[in-house]
Amino acid sequence: MTITASTDVAAAGAIDARKVYGEGDTEVRALDGVTVSFERSRFTAIMGPSGSGKSTLMHCLAGLDRLSAGRVFIGSTYLDDLSEGQLTELRRDKIGFVFQAFNLIPTLSAAENITLPMDLAGRKPDTEWMNQVIETVGLRSRLSHRPSELSGGQQQRVAVARALASRPEIVFADEPTGNLDSRSGSEILQFMRHAVTDLHQTIVMVTHDANAAAYADRVVFLADGRIVTEMADPTAASVLDMLKQIGD
Amino acid sequence: MLRVALKDLLARKRRLVTTSIAVVLGIAFLTGTQLLSATLSSSIRSLVGDVYQGVDAVVRSSKTTDTPFGQPLRTPVDESLLPEVQRVDGVAVAQGVVEATGSQLIGPDGKVFGGGIGPPTITYNWTTDSIMGEGAVREGRGPIRDDEMALDFTSASKLGARLGDQVKVATLKQGVRSFTLVGTVGLGSSGDRSTGAKPMFFTTPVAQAISGEVGKYNYVVVKAASGLSQRDIADRLAEALPGQQVVTGAAFVKENQEQISKFVDILNTFVSVFGWIALFVAVFIIYNTFSIIVQQRTRETALLRAVGARRRQVLGAALLEAVVVGLIASVLGLVLGIVVATSLVHLMENFFTVSGGVAMPTVATFVFAVVVGVGITVLSALIPSWRSTRIPPVAALGEVSVDRADSSRARTAWGIVVLVAGGLLIAAGLAQLGPNPLVLVGGGAVAVLVSVALVIGPTIASPISRLLARPVARFAGVAGHLAGENAARNPRRTASTAAALTIGVTLVTLIAIVATSIRESADQAIDNSIRADFVVANADVTSLGSIPNDLLGKVRALPTVAVASPMRFGLMRLLDAKARARAEGVTTTVPTGTFGVSNDAPPGDDIPVLGIDPATWFDVVGAGSMQGSPRDLGPNTMAVVKSFAEDRGWRLGQEIPVFFGATGLQELKVALIWDQNIGQGNVWLPLGTFSANQLPIFDADYQIYVKARPGASDAELRRQLDALVKDLPTVTVQDLQQYAAAQTGPIDSFLAVVYGLLGLAIIIALIGISNTLSLSILERTRELGLLRAVGMSRRQLRRTVRFEAAIIAVFGALMGLVLGIVFSAALSVSISARNPGLFTYHLPVVQLIVITVVAALAGLVAAWVPSRRAAKLDVLRAIAAP
Repeated sequence: MTITASTDVAAAGAIDARKVYGEGDTEVRALDGVTVSFERSRFTAIMGPSGSGKSTLMHCLAGLDRLSAGRVFIGSTYLDDLSEGQLTELRRDKIGFVFQAFNLIPTLSAAENITLPMDLAGRKPDTEWMNQVIETVGLRSRLSHRPSELSGGQQQRVAVARALASRPEIVFADEPTGNLDSRSGSEILQFMRHAVTDLHQTIVMVTHDANAAAYADRVVFLADGRIVTEMADPTAASVLDMLKQIGD
Repeated sequence: MLRVALKDLLARKRRLVTTSIAVVLGIAFLTGTQLLSATLSSSIRSLVGDVYQGVDAVVRSSKTTDTPFGQPLRTPVDESLLPEVQRVDGVAVAQGVVEATGSQLIGPDGKVFGGGIGPPTITYNWTTDSIMGEGAVREGRGPIRDDEMALDFTSASKLGARLGDQVKVATLKQGVRSFTLVGTVGLGSSGDRSTGAKPMFFTTPVAQAISGEVGKYNYVVVKAASGLSQRDIADRLAEALPGQQVVTGAAFVKENQEQISKFVDILNTFVSVFGWIALFVAVFIIYNTFSIIVQQRTRETALLRAVGARRRQVLGAALLEAVVVGLIASVLGLVLGIVVATSLVHLMENFFTVSGGVAMPTVATFVFAVVVGVGITVLSALIPSWRSTRIPPVAALGEVSVDRADSSRARTAWGIVVLVAGGLLIAAGLAQLGPNPLVLVGGGAVAVLVSVALVIGPTIASPISRLLARPVARFAGVAGHLAGENAARNPRRTASTAAALTIGVTLVTLIAIVATSIRESADQAIDNSIRADFVVANADVTSLGSIPNDLLGKVRALPTVAVASPMRFGLMRLLDAKARARAEGVTTTVPTGTFGVSNDAPPGDDIPVLGIDPATWFDVVGAGSMQGSPRDLGPNTMAVVKSFAEDRGWRLGQEIPVFFGATGLQELKVALIWDQNIGQGNVWLPLGTFSANQLPIFDADYQIYVKARPGASDAELRRQLDALVKDLPTVTVQDLQQYAAAQTGPIDSFLAVVYGLLGLAIIIALIGISNTLSLSILERTRELGLLRAVGMSRRQLRRTVRFEAAIIAVFGALMGLVLGIVFSAALSVSISARNPGLFTYHLPVVQLIVITVVAALAGLVAAWVPSRRAAKLDVLRAIAAP
């Protein structure tokens, strides 16, 4: 096998990653030997039918779950060697998250939510960068509001801002537009695109929406725990075509 | 519907347990005291019954005098009564009984045996073939010679005395005397059961002499000739001896049982109060738990409603849970109550001999436990359950909403109305209005607490939580900030959780403040008014009268002594218009008889009076300016403090009718009015007047105030005084500091007990905090998952939960401090009004800070389990939680 996932080019990646649930007859191979790397300053989408292992892959890459075998890394750090405490610090300092829903702490204001990872680390946020991020997601006027006073789209924008605020190595987004109407959804996707193109961030997004995937530089397709194929500079139409092929 | 409710219940066993704990503890205390009471009563009943089983009738004086220290004293009868009784037709045996307190056994260490606590040591005369049952010889024989004595066998063995040993007795009237132990006695025909008391037996003349009742019996016991009933013989005796009181043996037994039961009752009331407090705290916890459960179940309930459940069915399901919780808790509480009773009985065995083991719960106790337990639980769950019926079916579809306190005006207005009403009730109670002031005060306090918990608390919970979080956030960063926001997000929940702690802290604060004020006031009064250098005093109240009469002379003879002034302590009943009006109006709840004078005396106010030596007394105390002169204090006069005289409308020179236990109605002239109330009684009698009117037990020096000659060394004087009391085990020499400490010492030991029992209420409150947090964490699972995902460490999460608990606890403690300070201020106004110049309000600032800090630490401890559980959450599953 030619595993040369060069860590100085890739922001993150997996080497022969395997994840098995259950035993014997009930054994499920969620990941069945996945090797993939995600380049810096690129927007990558992971797609696949449900049960293909795309969420599991993301959770393991993000240090939320552990592999049964194989390795995953963020930057120059192999996650498999890390303790629970070190994993937490890694998530805090090197990774940004955007979930499908319930992204924000209801008791904190938008601004406090954005700086939460840095507050947890006891670090001062970089003011210039923060301004840039807040400008990008267009939230200036809403910073003192609580999540309950924001619309769904605004909440997701705060979540994106939080993910970017600590200048992480990589941002993972799990169906970030899944709960939004199409207009808010495309707004969020544009912000993410913008963050990659103009702010040189690295984003990996799990989605099953071809329109969302079309915002990415590259799409990786998973099925049955394996990488089936990938595609550069996708369009919605080409992604849909590919999904059909995989489905067959 | 029933099945749904039951299944739900079983699925949440842990919640069931935590909810029940509060009720379990409350019920345990209530039933525990009931069982204790039953145990002691039956034990006492059989004991007293056995002692007097051979007695058919008792002949005695009709006059009694209550003492401030225990059972009433009955005026003794003359020895000459015995032959008169014996001559009455139908009397088979009549025996004169000397039964006196005041003399004490001296232990091997030279101190009073048993330290003055426990069952009283009673002096009896020995009668061969006594018809009373307490004197059956177990070993040896009864005393025949005047230097012999017998003892209860348990006291003898505790004392380590064997037959033939010399036993020392600190006698009431004859100093320390030594006797040869010639026998041990006990109950039953062979004397093998302990009486549980500490009886000492002497020959009749010795028993009379050492207790100061020469030529007298306390009563005469009679055994009737066969064929005569107790009633018959009592009637014959009453007819033959019209000057005396005659009671049947059965009535006499009952009387004695009741006297001992009174003590047990007081103890029971005392302990049950804390049981009720625990249950009151439990109410808040149950209310809170059910509120949270109902809220968390909103979707489930809405779904039930959507598929066709009626409101009544929803209410029924919610209440069913309350019934089950209450039922389980009551039964567990009852079981724990048996444990409580057993340990209390164990404790009691220092005071009584408990026969027959701990009483088992009767059906009545069981019903009581279940009714109270289930009743309290259902009542507390009623409002939350009713709220659950208001959930519309459509709520099944939406997101679960976050609870927000409705700070509606109506709610606030009601809260203020209840608060003010509570305040007024307390004020009325403290002003002694109405037939039962204690109930007014208690009811008012409950109203204030409820309004604070349900209305005032929720209104201020959020801002105060945020305020408290600020310093925490400074050193703990975002964990502190989040803790504050979490405490603030649900003000109603925070307030009712904190209120449980508020109750305990209010009481602790109140008691701490009042006790400190009393102590400081006493110290101050002593500082201001006592000009003596040393006080020679009885070791404790049970050794009243143990300073021998010749001690004063010996002290005065010391070359280092400038002044030695004696003080005696007695009782007097006031019969003036004010006293009569009060007695008729029945406006007092203070148990009558505490300072009572006599059962056949006219109604009036009983007050303590001091016997003083006018020539020297004013050299050792500072009484301020005076009307009249100490020289005017001759026969049949008294001195009165100004505030008391004004209160009664007495003027200098006025003749005041009073009543004494020993001499009946007397008139005393007000010969001196002094200015400065110094905590030494309101009325002083010159020693001559005092001695002429008091019973022998009071007519001994209570304290001797000693002032050193100028230039004499205190150490030297102390040494000489110590030498004088060397052989008097019940007499101590105190300098002013020790004297002050001795005055307030009992307060401290009382406080220790109260704090211990209040600890229970506080522990229940902490369980409540723990419970609320567990439920809150369940509710916030996703949020916690998110926090962990974005990089909160387990430690930070644990701290967040713990700080939230600490903030809630401190919030509760602060409300308690404020209430405690307010209540104590009200109480002190009332105390000062009745004791002008004697009581000043002192805030024990350090103690109050300690209470708050302890509350904060206790909150941290309460959060231990929930915080660990929160930290252990699986991040992925938490995020995916519904």
